[in-house]
Amino acid sequence: MSQQIQMTVNDQQVGPVDVPEGLKMIEFLHEYLNLTGTKFGCGAGVCHACTVIVEGKNGVSEVVRTCISGVERFADKKVRTVEGHAKRNAAGEITELTPVQMAFLEHFSFQCGWCTSGFINETTALMERLAKAPVATANVEQVIEEALKEHICRCTGYVKYYQGVKDLILNTKGLTY
Amino acid sequence: MKATDLSKPAGFARQIKAVLVSLLILGGLSAAQAAQDQGGLIAQGKYLAEIGDCVACHTPQGGRELSGGLPFETPFGIVYSTNITSDKETGIGYYSYRDFYRAMHEGISPNGNLYPAMPYTSYHLLTDADTRALYAYFMNTKPIRQENKASEISFPFNIRMGLKAWNMMNHEDSEFIANPAKSDSWNRGSYLVNVLGHCGECHTPRNTTFAMKPEAHFQGAVLDTFEASNITPQELNRQNWTHEDLKQLFTKGYSRKGTVFGGMYPVVYHSYSHLTEQDMRAVTSYLLDNEADIEELPLAFNGHDKDAPGYNIYMGYCAGCHGQDGEGRPNVAPALAGNATLDRSSVFNAVSLLLNGIVSQHYNSTTSFYAMPGYAEKFDDQQLTDLVNYMRITWTGQKADIRVTEVNDIRTNMKQALH
Ligand code: FES
Ligand code: FES
Repeated sequence: MSQQIQMTVNDQQVGPVDVPEGLKMIEFLHEYLNLTGTKFGCGAGVCHACTVIVEGKNGVSEVVRTCISGVERFADKKVRTVEGHAKRNAAGEITELTPVQMAFLEHFSFQCGWCTSGFINETTALMERLAKAPVATANVEQVIEEALKEHICRCTGYVKYYQGVKDLILNTKGLTY
Repeated sequence: MKATDLSKPAGFARQIKAVLVSLLILGGLSAAQAAQDQGGLIAQGKYLAEIGDCVACHTPQGGRELSGGLPFETPFGIVYSTNITSDKETGIGYYSYRDFYRAMHEGISPNGNLYPAMPYTSYHLLTDADTRALYAYFMNTKPIRQENKASEISFPFNIRMGLKAWNMMNHEDSEFIANPAKSDSWNRGSYLVNVLGHCGECHTPRNTTFAMKPEAHFQGAVLDTFEASNITPQELNRQNWTHEDLKQLFTKGYSRKGTVFGGMYPVVYHSYSHLTEQDMRAVTSYLLDNEADIEELPLAFNGHDKDAPGYNIYMGYCAGCHGQDGEGRPNVAPALAGNATLDRSSVFNAVSLLLNGIVSQHYNSTTSFYAMPGYAEKFDDQQLTDLVNYMRITWTGQKADIRVTEVNDIRTNMKQALH
Protein backbone atom coordinates (compact mmCIF):
# COMPACT_ATOMS: atom_id res chain seq x y z
CA MET A 1 0.00 0.00 0.00
CA SER A 2 1.45 3.34 -0.95
CA GLN A 3 0.31 6.88 -1.38
CA GLN A 4 1.46 10.00 -3.17
CA ILE A 5 2.81 12.85 -1.17
CA GLN A 6 4.26 16.25 -1.95
CA MET A 7 5.56 19.15 0.08
CA THR A 8 8.17 21.88 0.11
CA VAL A 9 11.34 21.17 2.07
CA ASN A 10 13.87 23.95 2.54
CA ASP A 11 12.28 25.87 -0.34
CA GLN A 12 12.58 22.91 -2.71
CA GLN A 13 9.53 21.22 -4.13
CA VAL A 14 9.51 17.52 -3.21
CA GLY A 15 7.30 14.99 -4.98
CA PRO A 16 4.71 13.96 -5.81
CA VAL A 17 6.41 10.78 -4.66
CA ASP A 18 5.06 7.35 -3.75
CA VAL A 19 5.65 6.50 -0.12
CA PRO A 20 4.55 3.43 1.83
CA GLU A 21 1.76 3.58 4.35
CA GLY A 22 2.86 4.48 7.84
CA LEU A 23 6.08 6.21 6.83
CA LYS A 24 7.29 8.59 9.54
CA MET A 25 8.52 12.01 8.56
CA ILE A 26 11.98 11.39 9.99
CA GLU A 27 12.35 8.33 7.74
CA PHE A 28 11.18 10.36 4.78
CA LEU A 29 13.80 13.02 5.48
CA HIS A 30 16.58 10.47 5.95
CA GLU A 31 15.76 7.84 3.37
CA TYR A 32 14.11 9.77 0.57
CA LEU A 33 15.69 13.22 0.78
CA ASN A 34 19.04 12.31 2.34
CA LEU A 35 18.56 15.05 4.91
CA THR A 36 20.19 13.39 7.90
CA GLY A 37 20.68 16.52 10.01
CA THR A 38 17.38 15.79 11.77
CA LYS A 39 18.32 13.36 14.50
CA PHE A 40 16.42 10.39 15.83
CA GLY A 41 16.70 10.20 19.62
CA CYS A 42 13.97 8.56 21.64
CA GLY A 43 11.62 7.84 18.78
CA ALA A 44 8.73 8.48 21.12
CA GLY A 45 8.18 12.21 21.07
CA VAL A 46 10.02 12.90 24.29
CA CYS A 47 13.48 14.25 23.53
CA HIS A 48 12.55 16.67 20.73
CA ALA A 49 15.82 15.99 18.91
CA CYS A 50 13.86 15.33 15.70
CA THR A 51 12.04 18.69 15.68
CA VAL A 52 11.55 20.52 12.38
CA ILE A 53 9.77 23.76 11.51
CA VAL A 54 6.51 23.83 9.60
CA GLU A 55 5.00 27.01 8.30
CA GLY A 56 1.66 27.17 9.98
CA LYS A 57 -1.44 29.26 9.56
CA ASN A 58 -0.99 33.05 9.18
CA GLY A 59 2.73 32.69 8.56
CA VAL A 60 3.38 31.62 12.16
CA SER A 61 5.83 28.75 12.32
CA GLU A 62 5.24 25.72 14.45
CA VAL A 63 7.65 23.04 15.52
CA VAL A 64 6.81 19.40 14.95
CA ARG A 65 8.49 16.19 16.12
CA THR A 66 9.11 14.02 13.10
CA CYS A 67 9.64 10.71 14.89
CA ILE A 68 6.00 10.48 15.93
CA SER A 69 4.50 12.21 12.92
CA GLY A 70 3.46 10.45 9.78
CA VAL A 71 4.51 11.98 6.49
CA GLU A 72 0.82 12.78 5.81
CA ARG A 73 0.98 15.51 8.39
CA PHE A 74 3.36 17.44 6.15
CA ALA A 75 1.52 16.99 2.87
CA ASP A 76 1.40 20.28 0.91
CA LYS A 77 3.16 22.10 3.76
CA LYS A 78 6.37 24.14 3.86
CA VAL A 79 8.96 22.42 6.01
CA ARG A 80 12.35 23.68 7.23
CA THR A 81 15.04 21.35 8.56
CA VAL A 82 18.42 22.21 10.01
CA GLU A 83 19.93 21.97 6.50
CA GLY A 84 17.76 24.88 5.39
CA HIS A 85 19.11 27.59 7.67
CA ALA A 86 22.61 28.62 6.57
CA LYS A 87 23.16 30.58 3.36
CA ARG A 88 24.86 28.72 0.53
CA ASN A 89 26.53 29.75 -2.67
CA ALA A 90 25.71 28.42 -6.12
CA ALA A 91 28.00 25.45 -5.52
CA GLY A 92 26.05 24.55 -2.43
CA GLU A 93 28.82 25.54 -0.03
CA ILE A 94 27.88 27.22 3.21
CA THR A 95 28.75 30.91 3.19
CA GLU A 96 27.01 32.23 6.24
CA LEU A 97 25.41 30.78 9.38
CA THR A 98 22.26 32.17 10.92
CA PRO A 99 22.49 34.19 14.15
CA VAL A 100 21.06 31.21 16.04
CA GLN A 101 23.73 28.88 14.73
CA MET A 102 26.42 31.48 15.49
CA ALA A 103 25.12 31.95 19.02
CA PHE A 104 25.42 28.23 19.78
CA LEU A 105 28.90 28.10 18.27
CA GLU A 106 30.09 31.14 20.20
CA HIS A 107 28.77 29.77 23.47
CA PHE A 108 30.15 26.27 22.91
CA SER A 109 26.59 25.16 23.54
CA PHE A 110 26.70 21.65 22.15
CA GLN A 111 28.99 18.76 22.76
CA CYS A 112 28.12 15.64 20.76
CA GLY A 113 25.65 17.65 18.70
CA TRP A 114 22.87 15.08 18.62
CA CYS A 115 20.28 17.41 20.08
CA THR A 116 21.53 20.50 18.27
CA SER A 117 19.33 20.59 15.21
CA GLY A 118 16.28 20.36 17.46
CA PHE A 119 17.53 23.28 19.55
CA ILE A 120 18.29 25.30 16.43
CA ASN A 121 14.85 24.79 14.96
CA GLU A 122 13.03 25.49 18.19
CA THR A 123 15.09 28.63 18.83
CA THR A 124 14.61 29.84 15.27
CA ALA A 125 10.86 29.45 15.58
CA LEU A 126 11.01 31.26 18.91
CA MET A 127 12.94 34.18 17.39
CA GLU A 128 10.36 34.46 14.62
CA ARG A 129 7.57 34.44 17.12
CA LEU A 130 9.20 37.14 19.22
CA ALA A 131 9.74 39.30 16.14
CA LYS A 132 5.97 39.28 15.71
CA ALA A 133 5.15 39.57 19.43
CA PRO A 134 8.03 40.98 21.50
CA VAL A 135 8.24 40.23 25.23
CA ALA A 136 9.32 42.31 28.21
CA THR A 137 13.04 41.99 28.91
CA ALA A 138 12.24 40.76 32.38
CA ASN A 139 10.36 37.78 30.93
CA VAL A 140 13.01 36.59 28.51
CA GLU A 141 14.29 33.76 30.70
CA GLN A 142 10.81 32.47 31.27
CA VAL A 143 10.01 32.55 27.56
CA ILE A 144 13.18 30.60 26.77
CA GLU A 145 12.42 28.10 29.47
CA GLU A 146 8.94 27.53 28.07
CA ALA A 147 10.19 27.10 24.53
CA LEU A 148 13.17 24.87 25.20
CA LYS A 149 12.30 22.95 28.32
CA GLU A 150 11.20 19.80 26.48
CA HIS A 151 14.48 19.50 24.59
CA ILE A 152 16.74 16.91 26.12
CA CYS A 153 20.49 17.17 25.80
CA ARG A 154 22.12 13.99 26.98
CA CYS A 155 25.46 15.78 27.23
CA THR A 156 23.69 18.18 29.60
CA GLY A 157 24.62 21.34 27.72
CA TYR A 158 21.54 23.16 28.94
CA VAL A 159 23.24 26.12 30.61
CA LYS A 160 25.18 27.05 27.52
CA TYR A 161 22.24 26.58 25.23
CA TYR A 162 20.00 28.75 27.40
CA GLN A 163 22.72 31.35 27.82
CA GLY A 164 23.30 31.48 24.07
CA VAL A 165 19.60 31.98 23.35
CA LYS A 166 19.29 34.63 26.05
CA ASP A 167 22.21 36.67 24.71
CA LEU A 168 20.88 36.38 21.20
CA ILE A 169 17.37 37.54 22.08
CA LEU A 170 18.58 40.44 24.21
CA ASN A 171 20.98 41.56 21.47
CA THR A 172 18.53 41.31 18.59
CA LYS A 173 16.52 44.43 17.95
CA GLY A 174 12.75 44.22 18.16
CA LEU A 175 12.37 41.03 20.16
CA THR A 176 12.07 42.64 23.59
CA TYR A 177 10.86 45.88 25.06
CA MET B 1 -36.33 2.00 45.87
CA LYS B 2 -33.16 3.88 46.81
CA ALA B 3 -30.96 1.24 45.25
CA THR B 4 -31.10 -2.49 44.77
CA ASP B 5 -29.95 -3.40 48.19
CA LEU B 6 -30.48 -0.43 50.42
CA SER B 7 -33.30 0.31 52.84
CA LYS B 8 -34.42 0.57 56.51
CA PRO B 9 -33.07 3.22 58.84
CA ALA B 10 -30.43 1.96 61.24
CA GLY B 11 -31.92 1.52 64.67
CA PHE B 12 -30.35 3.55 67.42
CA ALA B 13 -31.19 0.79 69.89
CA ARG B 14 -29.22 -1.66 67.76
CA GLN B 15 -26.15 0.55 67.93
CA ILE B 16 -26.43 0.95 71.69
CA LYS B 17 -26.67 -2.79 71.98
CA ALA B 18 -23.60 -3.22 69.85
CA VAL B 19 -21.66 -0.77 72.04
CA LEU B 20 -22.74 -2.53 75.21
CA VAL B 21 -21.88 -5.94 73.83
CA SER B 22 -18.45 -4.81 72.77
CA LEU B 23 -17.84 -3.16 76.15
CA LEU B 24 -18.83 -6.35 77.91
CA ILE B 25 -16.57 -8.38 75.72
CA LEU B 26 -13.68 -5.98 76.13
CA GLY B 27 -14.16 -5.97 79.91
CA GLY B 28 -13.56 -9.68 79.98
CA LEU B 29 -10.32 -9.64 78.05
CA SER B 30 -6.79 -9.24 79.26
CA ALA B 31 -5.05 -5.94 78.51
CA ALA B 32 -2.64 -7.68 76.12
CA GLN B 33 -5.42 -9.35 74.24
CA ALA B 34 -7.25 -6.01 74.00
CA ALA B 35 -4.15 -4.31 72.63
CA GLN B 36 -3.73 -7.04 70.05
CA ASP B 37 -7.36 -6.73 69.03
CA GLN B 38 -7.03 -2.98 68.83
CA GLY B 39 -4.00 -3.46 66.55
CA GLY B 40 -6.03 -5.75 64.32
CA LEU B 41 -8.90 -3.29 64.28
CA ILE B 42 -6.62 -0.42 63.29
CA ALA B 43 -5.09 -2.49 60.50
CA GLN B 44 -8.54 -3.42 59.26
CA GLY B 45 -9.58 0.24 59.41
CA LYS B 46 -6.50 1.24 57.46
CA TYR B 47 -7.41 -1.20 54.69
CA LEU B 48 -10.99 0.02 54.62
CA ALA B 49 -9.83 3.65 54.52
CA GLU B 50 -7.63 2.79 51.55
CA ILE B 51 -10.49 1.18 49.67
CA GLY B 52 -12.66 4.15 50.63
CA ASP B 53 -10.02 6.35 48.96
CA CYS B 54 -9.97 8.92 51.78
CA VAL B 55 -6.41 9.95 50.91
CA ALA B 56 -7.24 11.10 47.38
CA CYS B 57 -9.71 13.73 48.53
CA HIS B 58 -8.23 14.66 51.89
CA THR B 59 -4.65 15.29 50.81
CA PRO B 60 -3.67 18.67 49.41
CA GLN B 61 -1.50 18.82 46.29
CA GLY B 62 2.01 18.11 47.50
CA GLY B 63 0.79 18.18 51.10
CA ARG B 64 0.59 15.71 53.96
CA GLU B 65 -1.75 12.77 53.82
CA LEU B 66 -5.24 13.27 55.21
CA SER B 67 -4.59 16.85 56.32
CA GLY B 68 -7.30 18.23 54.01
CA GLY B 69 -7.43 21.40 51.94
CA LEU B 70 -7.90 19.93 48.47
CA PRO B 71 -10.32 22.18 46.57
CA PHE B 72 -13.45 20.76 44.91
CA GLU B 73 -15.25 22.76 42.29
CA THR B 74 -18.98 22.34 42.68
CA PRO B 75 -21.68 24.09 40.69
CA PHE B 76 -22.11 26.40 43.69
CA GLY B 77 -18.52 27.28 44.45
CA ILE B 78 -15.41 25.72 45.94
CA VAL B 79 -15.43 23.41 48.94
CA TYR B 80 -12.23 22.24 50.57
CA SER B 81 -11.77 18.80 52.04
CA THR B 82 -11.08 18.83 55.76
CA ASN B 83 -8.32 17.66 58.01
CA ILE B 84 -9.21 14.11 59.04
CA THR B 85 -6.03 13.26 60.92
CA SER B 86 -6.26 12.55 64.64
CA ASP B 87 -5.19 16.09 65.57
CA LYS B 88 -7.48 17.11 68.40
CA GLU B 89 -7.85 20.77 67.48
CA THR B 90 -7.78 20.96 63.70
CA GLY B 91 -8.52 17.34 62.80
CA ILE B 92 -11.08 14.84 64.00
CA GLY B 93 -9.15 13.59 67.05
CA TYR B 94 -11.83 14.93 69.36
CA TYR B 95 -14.64 12.98 67.66
CA SER B 96 -16.44 10.44 69.80
CA TYR B 97 -17.41 7.25 68.04
CA ARG B 98 -20.92 8.61 67.84
CA ASP B 99 -19.64 11.81 66.15
CA PHE B 100 -17.70 9.74 63.65
CA TYR B 101 -20.64 7.45 63.00
CA ARG B 102 -22.94 10.39 62.31
CA ALA B 103 -20.43 12.02 59.96
CA MET B 104 -20.00 8.80 57.97
CA HIS B 105 -23.63 7.74 57.95
CA GLU B 106 -25.65 10.91 58.16
CA GLY B 107 -23.31 13.60 56.88
CA ILE B 108 -23.47 15.48 60.17
CA SER B 109 -20.26 16.48 61.92
CA PRO B 110 -20.07 18.08 65.38
CA ASN B 111 -19.75 21.40 63.48
CA GLY B 112 -22.86 20.93 61.39
CA ASN B 113 -23.92 19.33 58.15
CA LEU B 114 -21.26 18.16 55.72
CA TYR B 115 -21.46 18.96 52.06
CA PRO B 116 -22.42 15.90 50.03
CA ALA B 117 -19.04 16.16 48.30
CA MET B 118 -18.17 13.88 51.22
CA PRO B 119 -19.79 10.67 49.98
CA TYR B 120 -21.82 9.87 53.09
CA THR B 121 -24.61 9.12 50.64
CA SER B 122 -22.57 5.97 49.91
CA TYR B 123 -20.71 5.46 53.19
CA HIS B 124 -23.91 5.33 55.19
CA LEU B 125 -24.26 1.67 54.24
CA LEU B 126 -21.06 0.80 56.11
CA THR B 127 -21.57 -1.89 58.69
CA ASP B 128 -21.18 -0.90 62.31
CA ALA B 129 -18.14 -3.17 62.62
CA ASP B 130 -16.42 -1.49 59.66
CA THR B 131 -17.30 1.97 60.94
CA ARG B 132 -15.65 1.02 64.24
CA ALA B 133 -12.53 -0.22 62.48
CA LEU B 134 -12.32 3.02 60.51
CA TYR B 135 -12.77 4.99 63.72
CA ALA B 136 -9.97 3.05 65.39
CA TYR B 137 -7.71 3.74 62.42
CA PHE B 138 -8.45 7.47 62.16
CA MET B 139 -8.00 8.01 65.88
CA ASN B 140 -4.56 6.47 65.51
CA THR B 141 -3.36 8.37 62.45
CA LYS B 142 -0.48 10.76 62.88
CA PRO B 143 -1.96 14.04 64.12
CA ILE B 144 -1.22 16.91 61.75
CA ARG B 145 -2.03 20.44 62.78
CA GLN B 146 -3.63 22.19 59.86
CA GLU B 147 -6.59 24.52 60.04
CA ASN B 148 -9.46 23.82 57.69
CA LYS B 149 -10.16 26.25 54.89
CA ALA B 150 -13.51 27.99 54.71
CA SER B 151 -15.54 27.00 51.68
CA GLU B 152 -16.29 29.53 48.95
CA ILE B 153 -19.88 28.60 48.32
CA SER B 154 -22.24 31.20 46.93
CA PHE B 155 -25.47 32.31 48.58
CA PRO B 156 -27.89 30.62 49.28
CA PHE B 157 -26.00 27.34 49.11
CA ASN B 158 -23.60 28.55 51.78
CA ILE B 159 -26.32 28.18 54.38
CA ARG B 160 -25.65 24.80 55.83
CA MET B 161 -29.25 24.58 56.98
CA GLY B 162 -30.05 24.04 53.31
CA LEU B 163 -28.15 20.78 53.57
CA LYS B 164 -30.66 19.60 56.12
CA ALA B 165 -33.37 20.01 53.53
CA TRP B 166 -31.17 18.28 50.95
CA ASN B 167 -30.66 15.37 53.30
CA MET B 168 -34.37 15.13 54.01
CA MET B 169 -35.04 14.97 50.30
CA ASN B 170 -32.16 12.80 49.17
CA HIS B 171 -30.66 10.91 52.05
CA GLU B 172 -31.73 8.28 54.44
CA ASP B 173 -29.35 6.36 56.67
CA SER B 174 -30.01 2.74 55.91
CA GLU B 175 -28.13 -0.50 56.11
CA PHE B 176 -26.53 -2.64 53.49
CA ILE B 177 -28.77 -5.54 52.61
CA ALA B 178 -27.17 -8.47 50.90
CA ASN B 179 -28.91 -9.83 47.85
CA PRO B 180 -29.88 -13.40 48.85
CA ALA B 181 -30.04 -14.50 45.22
CA LYS B 182 -26.31 -13.80 44.81
CA SER B 183 -23.17 -15.34 46.28
CA ASP B 184 -21.21 -14.02 49.24
CA SER B 185 -18.45 -12.92 46.91
CA TRP B 186 -20.83 -10.94 44.69
CA ASN B 187 -22.32 -9.29 47.76
CA ARG B 188 -18.90 -8.46 49.13
CA GLY B 189 -18.14 -6.88 45.75
CA SER B 190 -21.33 -4.88 45.87
CA TYR B 191 -20.42 -3.63 49.34
CA LEU B 192 -16.90 -2.67 48.28
CA VAL B 193 -18.01 -0.98 45.07
CA ASN B 194 -21.15 0.78 46.22
CA VAL B 195 -20.27 1.59 49.80
CA LEU B 196 -16.55 1.97 50.40
CA GLY B 197 -15.54 2.51 46.78
CA HIS B 198 -18.46 4.95 46.41
CA CYS B 199 -18.19 4.41 42.64
CA GLY B 200 -21.76 5.55 42.09
CA GLU B 201 -20.86 9.08 43.19
CA CYS B 202 -19.10 9.61 39.85
CA HIS B 203 -20.54 6.90 37.63
CA THR B 204 -24.21 7.51 38.30
CA PRO B 205 -25.98 10.46 36.70
CA ARG B 206 -27.56 12.98 39.06
CA ASN B 207 -30.99 14.52 39.14
CA THR B 208 -31.84 18.21 39.36
CA THR B 209 -31.05 18.33 43.07
CA PHE B 210 -27.67 16.66 42.39
CA ALA B 211 -28.61 13.38 44.02
CA MET B 212 -27.71 10.11 42.32
CA LYS B 213 -30.51 8.75 40.15
CA PRO B 214 -31.06 5.20 41.45
CA GLU B 215 -32.79 4.16 38.26
CA ALA B 216 -29.66 5.04 36.26
CA HIS B 217 -27.22 3.30 38.60
CA PHE B 218 -23.70 3.24 37.06
CA GLN B 219 -24.83 4.41 33.64
CA GLY B 220 -22.13 7.08 33.47
CA ALA B 221 -22.05 10.84 34.05
CA VAL B 222 -20.10 13.82 32.77
CA LEU B 223 -17.84 15.49 35.34
CA ASP B 224 -16.29 18.65 33.91
CA THR B 225 -14.04 17.50 31.10
CA PHE B 226 -14.47 13.75 31.34
CA GLU B 227 -17.29 11.31 31.48
CA ALA B 228 -17.17 8.68 34.19
CA SER B 229 -18.01 5.70 32.00
CA ASN B 230 -21.02 3.49 31.96
CA ILE B 231 -19.93 0.62 34.21
CA THR B 232 -23.10 -1.43 34.19
CA PRO B 233 -22.55 -5.17 33.68
CA GLN B 234 -24.35 -4.91 30.34
CA GLU B 235 -21.86 -2.38 29.01
CA LEU B 236 -18.76 -4.03 30.49
CA ASN B 237 -19.79 -7.41 29.09
CA ARG B 238 -20.59 -5.92 25.71
CA GLN B 239 -17.05 -4.57 25.59
CA ASN B 240 -15.69 -7.99 26.59
CA TRP B 241 -14.05 -6.89 29.82
CA THR B 242 -12.73 -9.99 31.59
CA HIS B 243 -11.98 -10.36 35.31
CA GLU B 244 -8.31 -10.13 34.45
CA ASP B 245 -8.79 -6.93 32.41
CA LEU B 246 -10.52 -5.20 35.31
CA LYS B 247 -7.95 -6.48 37.75
CA GLN B 248 -5.16 -5.12 35.58
CA LEU B 249 -6.91 -1.77 35.28
CA PHE B 250 -7.52 -1.48 39.01
CA THR B 251 -4.07 -2.58 40.10
CA LYS B 252 -1.87 -1.16 37.37
CA GLY B 253 -4.00 1.61 35.86
CA TYR B 254 -3.94 0.05 32.42
CA SER B 255 -5.15 -3.04 30.64
CA ARG B 256 -5.47 -4.24 27.07
CA LYS B 257 -8.59 -2.06 26.92
CA GLY B 258 -6.81 1.19 27.72
CA THR B 259 -5.62 3.26 30.67
CA VAL B 260 -7.50 5.12 33.34
CA PHE B 261 -7.34 8.92 33.27
CA GLY B 262 -8.73 11.96 35.03
CA GLY B 263 -10.29 11.31 38.42
CA MET B 264 -9.87 7.54 38.12
CA TYR B 265 -6.10 7.76 38.30
CA PRO B 266 -5.92 8.62 42.02
CA VAL B 267 -8.56 5.97 42.71
CA VAL B 268 -6.31 3.29 41.27
CA TYR B 269 -3.18 4.72 42.77
CA HIS B 270 -4.39 5.23 46.34
CA SER B 271 -7.24 2.81 46.58
CA TYR B 272 -8.09 -0.08 44.29
CA SER B 273 -4.49 -1.19 43.80
CA HIS B 274 -4.59 -2.16 47.51
CA LEU B 275 -7.47 -4.62 47.21
CA THR B 276 -6.69 -8.15 48.37
CA GLU B 277 -6.87 -10.87 45.75
CA GLN B 278 -10.14 -12.13 47.15
CA ASP B 279 -11.74 -8.70 47.36
CA MET B 280 -10.59 -7.91 43.83
CA ARG B 281 -12.36 -10.98 42.51
CA ALA B 282 -15.44 -9.98 44.50
CA VAL B 283 -15.35 -6.51 42.92
CA THR B 284 -14.92 -7.79 39.38
CA SER B 285 -17.61 -10.46 39.91
CA TYR B 286 -20.02 -7.78 41.03
CA LEU B 287 -19.18 -5.34 38.25
CA LEU B 288 -19.42 -7.99 35.55
CA ASP B 289 -22.31 -9.72 37.33
CA ASN B 290 -20.54 -12.94 36.51
CA GLU B 291 -18.39 -15.16 38.69
CA ALA B 292 -17.26 -17.53 36.01
CA ASP B 293 -14.21 -16.82 33.90
CA ILE B 294 -14.93 -14.83 30.75
CA GLU B 295 -13.39 -15.73 27.43
CA GLU B 296 -11.06 -13.04 26.11
CA LEU B 297 -12.06 -12.22 22.53
CA PRO B 298 -9.48 -10.81 20.09
CA LEU B 299 -9.24 -7.01 19.98
CA ALA B 300 -10.97 -5.39 17.04
CA PHE B 301 -8.88 -4.22 14.10
CA ASN B 302 -10.98 -3.91 10.97
CA GLY B 303 -8.15 -2.81 8.68
CA HIS B 304 -7.38 0.63 7.28
CA ASP B 305 -9.67 2.33 4.81
CA LYS B 306 -7.36 4.77 3.08
CA ASP B 307 -10.20 6.60 1.44
CA ALA B 308 -11.96 7.41 4.70
CA PRO B 309 -11.51 11.07 5.60
CA GLY B 310 -9.84 10.46 8.97
CA TYR B 311 -7.13 8.17 7.63
CA ASN B 312 -4.52 10.82 6.87
CA ILE B 313 -5.10 12.61 10.14
CA TYR B 314 -4.62 9.38 12.04
CA MET B 315 -1.44 8.50 10.19
CA GLY B 316 -0.05 12.02 10.47
CA TYR B 317 -0.85 12.77 14.09
CA CYS B 318 -1.64 9.62 16.03
CA ALA B 319 0.10 6.59 14.51
CA GLY B 320 3.52 7.68 15.79
CA CYS B 321 2.52 6.87 19.36
CA HIS B 322 -0.56 4.67 19.07
CA GLY B 323 0.94 2.52 16.34
CA GLN B 324 0.21 2.22 12.68
CA ASP B 325 -2.33 -0.49 13.33
CA GLY B 326 -3.44 0.92 16.66
CA GLU B 327 -1.30 -1.53 18.59
CA GLY B 328 0.03 1.11 21.01
CA ARG B 329 3.51 1.24 22.47
CA PRO B 330 4.54 0.06 25.92
CA ASN B 331 5.31 2.95 28.24
CA VAL B 332 4.21 5.48 25.65
CA ALA B 333 0.60 5.12 24.56
CA PRO B 334 -2.21 2.59 25.00
CA ALA B 335 -3.51 0.50 22.12
CA LEU B 336 -6.58 1.68 20.24
CA ALA B 337 -7.63 -1.80 19.19
CA GLY B 338 -10.35 -2.73 21.66
CA ASN B 339 -9.93 0.59 23.44
CA ALA B 340 -12.84 1.10 25.79
CA THR B 341 -12.92 4.88 25.31
CA LEU B 342 -13.53 4.46 21.59
CA ASP B 343 -15.85 1.51 21.96
CA ARG B 344 -18.69 3.32 23.70
CA SER B 345 -21.89 4.73 22.36
CA SER B 346 -20.93 8.13 23.82
CA VAL B 347 -18.00 9.86 22.10
CA PHE B 348 -17.68 12.42 24.86
CA ASN B 349 -14.38 11.12 26.22
CA ALA B 350 -12.83 10.45 22.82
CA VAL B 351 -13.51 14.05 21.75
CA SER B 352 -12.65 15.49 25.12
CA LEU B 353 -9.28 13.70 25.22
CA LEU B 354 -8.46 14.91 21.73
CA LEU B 355 -9.33 18.47 22.69
CA ASN B 356 -7.60 18.56 26.07
CA GLY B 357 -4.95 15.85 25.94
CA ILE B 358 -3.95 13.75 28.94
CA VAL B 359 -1.23 14.47 31.47
CA SER B 360 1.49 11.85 31.77
CA GLN B 361 0.67 9.04 34.14
CA HIS B 362 2.97 7.05 36.33
CA TYR B 363 1.75 3.70 37.64
CA ASN B 364 4.70 1.86 39.06
CA SER B 365 8.45 1.78 38.75
CA THR B 366 8.31 0.13 35.36
CA THR B 367 5.18 1.57 33.82
CA SER B 368 4.23 5.08 32.80
CA PHE B 369 2.42 6.63 29.88
CA TYR B 370 3.50 9.82 28.16
CA ALA B 371 1.41 12.92 28.09
CA MET B 372 -0.85 13.30 25.07
CA PRO B 373 -1.10 16.83 23.69
CA GLY B 374 -4.49 18.48 23.26
CA TYR B 375 -5.50 19.27 19.69
CA ALA B 376 -8.17 21.89 20.35
CA GLU B 377 -6.26 24.52 18.39
CA LYS B 378 -5.04 22.15 15.73
CA PHE B 379 -8.21 20.42 14.54
CA ASP B 380 -11.47 22.01 13.59
CA ASP B 381 -14.74 20.24 14.31
CA GLN B 382 -14.84 18.55 10.92
CA GLN B 383 -11.33 17.13 11.31
CA LEU B 384 -12.11 15.91 14.83
CA THR B 385 -15.29 14.26 13.60
CA ASP B 386 -13.43 12.56 10.76
CA LEU B 387 -10.74 11.35 13.12
CA VAL B 388 -13.09 9.97 15.78
CA ASN B 389 -15.24 8.29 13.16
CA TYR B 390 -12.15 6.80 11.59
CA MET B 391 -10.88 5.40 14.86
CA ARG B 392 -14.27 3.95 15.70
CA ILE B 393 -14.77 2.09 12.44
CA THR B 394 -11.17 0.91 12.44
CA TRP B 395 -10.90 -0.38 16.02
CA THR B 396 -14.39 -1.02 17.36
CA GLY B 397 -17.71 -2.38 16.22
CA GLN B 398 -19.20 1.13 16.40
CA LYS B 399 -20.39 2.97 13.32
CA ALA B 400 -18.89 6.11 11.78
CA ASP B 401 -22.03 8.05 12.61
CA ILE B 402 -20.72 10.90 14.74
CA ARG B 403 -21.84 14.25 13.37
CA VAL B 404 -19.98 17.56 13.39
CA THR B 405 -22.69 19.14 15.51
CA GLU B 406 -22.09 16.61 18.29
CA VAL B 407 -18.39 17.39 18.32
CA ASN B 408 -19.15 21.09 18.30
CA ASP B 409 -21.48 20.67 21.29
CA ILE B 410 -18.79 18.88 23.26
CA ARG B 411 -16.24 21.56 22.40
CA THR B 412 -18.62 24.30 23.46
CA ASN B 413 -19.52 22.60 26.75
CA MET B 414 -15.86 21.99 27.41
CA LYS B 415 -15.01 25.66 27.07
CA GLN B 416 -17.65 26.42 29.65
CA ALA B 417 -16.43 23.68 31.98
CA LEU B 418 -12.89 24.99 31.80
CA HIS B 419 -13.87 28.55 32.65
S1 FES C 1 13.40 11.43 18.45
FE1 FES C 1 11.62 12.57 18.14
S2 FES C 1 11.23 13.36 20.08
FE2 FES C 1 12.92 12.08 20.43
S1 FES D 1 25.05 17.91 22.79
FE1 FES D 1 24.94 15.80 23.03
S2 FES D 1 22.88 15.49 23.35
FE2 FES D 1 23.01 17.57 23.42
